[in-house]
Amino acid sequence: MTQGTKPVDSGNGHIWQRTARSTAIVGAVFTAVFSVLLIANLIGSAVLGPARENKLAAMKLDLQKDATNETLLSAIRQLDLKIRRDRIWRLDFAHRTARALLGSVLVLLVAGKIAYDLGKEPPRLQHMTERGQIQVREAKQARWAVVGGLAVLVVVMTLVGMTGWVRFAQAQDEGPSFASMEDKQGQWHRFRGPGGAGVSAYTNIPTSWNGKTGEGVLWKTPVPMPGRNSPVVWKNRVFLTGADPNVRQVYCFDADSGALLWTGDVPTVPVEEKLELMEDTGYAACTAATDGRRIYAIFPTGDIAGFDFNGRRLWHKNLGVPDSAYGYASSLETYEKLVLIQYDQGDGSEGKSRMIALDGTNGQIAWEAKRDLPNSWASPIVVDVAGKPQLITIADPNVVAYDPANGREIWRAECLGGDVAPSPIYAGGLVLVIEAYAQLVGIKPTGQGDVSKTHVAWHMEEGGPDICSPVSDGTYVYLLESSDLLICCKVETGEKLYEEKIRGDFRASPSIVGDRLYILDMKGVMHIGQAGSEYKELGTCELGEECYASPAFTDGRIYIRGNENLYGIGRKQ
Amino acid sequence: MMRFVRLTAFLVALLVPCLRARGEIRFPPPDFESGYELPVTTTPAPQPAWREYVDAAVLAAALLLASHLILKRRSRRAVFVLMLAALLYFGFVRDGCICPIGAIQNVTLTIFDSSYAIPVTAAIFFVVPLVFTLFCGRVFCGAVCPLGAIQDAVLIRPVAVPRWLESGLRLLAYVYLGAAVLFAAIGSSFVICRYDPFVGFFRMGANWNMLVVGASLLLIGLFVGRPYCRFLCPYGVILRNLSRLSKRRVTITPSECIQCRLCEDACPFGAIREPTEDWPEGEYKIAKRRLALFLLLLPVLVAGGAWGGYALKGQLARVHPRVRTAERVYLEETGQVQGTTDVSDAFRATGQTTGVLYADATQIRHRFGIGGTLLGAFVGFVAGGKLVALSVRRRRTDYEADPASCLACGRCYKACPKEHERLKMRREAALGRV
Repeated sequence: MTQGTKPVDSGNGHIWQRTARSTAIVGAVFTAVFSVLLIANLIGSAVLGPARENKLAAMKLDLQKDATNETLLSAIRQLDLKIRRDRIWRLDFAHRTARALLGSVLVLLVAGKIAYDLGKEPPRLQHMTERGQIQVREAKQARWAVVGGLAVLVVVMTLVGMTGWVRFAQAQDEGPSFASMEDKQGQWHRFRGPGGAGVSAYTNIPTSWNGKTGEGVLWKTPVPMPGRNSPVVWKNRVFLTGADPNVRQVYCFDADSGALLWTGDVPTVPVEEKLELMEDTGYAACTAATDGRRIYAIFPTGDIAGFDFNGRRLWHKNLGVPDSAYGYASSLETYEKLVLIQYDQGDGSEGKSRMIALDGTNGQIAWEAKRDLPNSWASPIVVDVAGKPQLITIADPNVVAYDPANGREIWRAECLGGDVAPSPIYAGGLVLVIEAYAQLVGIKPTGQGDVSKTHVAWHMEEGGPDICSPVSDGTYVYLLESSDLLICCKVETGEKLYEEKIRGDFRASPSIVGDRLYILDMKGVMHIGQAGSEYKELGTCELGEECYASPAFTDGRIYIRGNENLYGIGRKQ
Repeated sequence: MMRFVRLTAFLVALLVPCLRARGEIRFPPPDFESGYELPVTTTPAPQPAWREYVDAAVLAAALLLASHLILKRRSRRAVFVLMLAALLYFGFVRDGCICPIGAIQNVTLTIFDSSYAIPVTAAIFFVVPLVFTLFCGRVFCGAVCPLGAIQDAVLIRPVAVPRWLESGLRLLAYVYLGAAVLFAAIGSSFVICRYDPFVGFFRMGANWNMLVVGASLLLIGLFVGRPYCRFLCPYGVILRNLSRLSKRRVTITPSECIQCRLCEDACPFGAIREPTEDWPEGEYKIAKRRLALFLLLLPVLVAGGAWGGYALKGQLARVHPRVRTAERVYLEETGQVQGTTDVSDAFRATGQTTGVLYADATQIRHRFGIGGTLLGAFVGFVAGGKLVALSVRRRRTDYEADPASCLACGRCYKACPKEHERLKMRREAALGRV
């Protein structure tokens, strides 16, 4: 690598220059060939690699659905091996070619440099006057180049400026990241609506429809996966979940058209034993809940996920498969931005049961309270007691109230037994809880600590439903047996007023709309009756499809989930 | 002819060892039934601290040696050997890190962020070449910088870049320096390190974009002497301006200049300035008016640049990861994009509220507003200053190496007949003594 300026022997110099030039050309050819090989290898990796990996991922998904398919398993192994072999071969090829390229580049550089130095001609001398003119011209051109450079810079800045940027002002004005208790009152944000009470905030609810003829049915949309959970409604969105042993999904429907807006998949983690659940419970028994910003769904596999209203999964968590005799079925509740999970399991002696609050924005645990209680199937409720929120939970044998903000226990009453499935309600200043086949209990929620002997207002010991939750208008409380019996009691005293036979079997809990009772039987017949001290059936409406889920009520609408379809009933808005 | 054939055949044969037979793959992939066990993941031990001090000592020694070889011994060959040694050590052995170019950012960050303590070696790497430049010219560029060396090594057939093009392209280095300082000052990114075009070659691996940029620069470098050093290097901007003040620098001829232009021809960096003549007739008055115009234009350019820099604060702020996260999360939250990214998922996993994130991003944008204003003003000042400088005529009677542009490579005096004469006389004197 020398700058040759000394004269060389014309004969030898000529030959050496030609030799160097030819060698440089050979080096350049090899450089080009190796470069092309490297680029081809790279393109091959970029094209073939992802295609094969996508295929492998798809095959693995198929295997999840059909875990016993040995042929598919073998094909996956073969493809996996092929991908690995190809990747290693390409890496090896790239390393070898790169070294060869380096060698050819070195040859090109050395030979090219020698050829250039040997063939270099001496510079031409400049005339003084010519030089002056050239300098003036060069300075002028240089000034224009600087101006040109500035112009290019301005153009680039303008182009960059045109890309715009996101302004956060609007987002900061949106307020808190959850809806208030007042906002929730007009919606159906959880199982059985606000407070889990099953009471509609609106009285303009339809009283006549027929699912078979389509009369009064605004829309009917098939639900992709089965589930016993009930609709949750927030403004113009209706949410459901569905699942089978392999797949868990959250659905969002348009409340006006019934169109399925999005489907959100909830992943799980591999477990050693396959989860087997009762058919009646199913794999999607828990009703979802929303805080007005996000929708949350939990499944019997212990998987819980949060989605935004556009269907983006914000987080997912696996809480561990709950040890539940009939399959986990407690629905979610929300308080501010917290998702509240009553995670009762086992027989109560192992300390597995917990009340868990997750931060809805990110799925992190906000607080956790251990519960010395066995598995239960009731859902927690958050109610306003004298201006302060209380989280009420029930399980054999206790009713326990917590501060929903931090999980601090406020009071507990020992008054229940057996398998607890009907959820509590708060009406007429009392927390009303049911012990299946045994009793209805009214408790004043104003105490602290153990209130078993001080705040239990009354016991109504003439039976109680095993599945359906009670409903109350504040004066009367109605209990619906899963067979065919409706019981009415006074809230104030627990005094039983009447029993009424209603033909049908019931899984959905009863609801109150104004002064009317809405009772949905398993065949999809809605019995509408007069609420009060005497029952009078006002009419029935057929859906034409089996129903397990409790209906949801919003302004002028009822949303009912059948075994196959979701129905929007009411008028267009 | 036979000689040429033999030589070509020999050179081609040299390549054969590079092309080993494909053979079996050395590491068979694990299959499902092989019982293969994944190796335990280990974390390499951190680099010992003394290694960095050795680097600093090597840097200082290399600069001392370079100064001696360039200014005293005037040996292009020795400078070239030192340059290759520096390329091997600072480039391939030390993986191109740490280098004075990137140290600009460490120094900037330590000035603007009180919680950041600059490593001593980073400070040494930044300061020592500046001190040498102040006394000896750009000896760091000429013989020690690995980035310069790798470009110098590939230069086969230098093509003269027109002076006007060089003036325009040099603006890029100032913009790059200003941007690098801005991003480092706000703690957004060390862009010089992130976009180092040659570090991928030193480390034998980099992402595709970096390799393409580096390979492109080397490809251009086959014909254009050190394109990165001349048109992009942010540290070069500091060195070229400091070098104007240097006490000693490269001189082409050891005695009088015979104006043969061989030095100008030998310099691949366009750093040789020819003698100047008086203003051509009629040009002087125009030049005076032009100079006055550019002096008046200077504050306008500064103000315009400041305004432009401020207007781009939102775009500039995107370099900051917090702002990018905030924008992504906002777009997701408002349903303007579908799906989530690893970054937005990671943010949500932290449990922070979006309000805090947006407030942080807004604060960072505000700082970019100030920084962008200063950056724009700086670029406007540089452009205006260049226009002023190009309107001033400097008197030269001989061919000289431009103190700012000269990279102290020693090619010019190697080409000088007077230097050859001096060397010949010295050899003869030495022989005479013998």
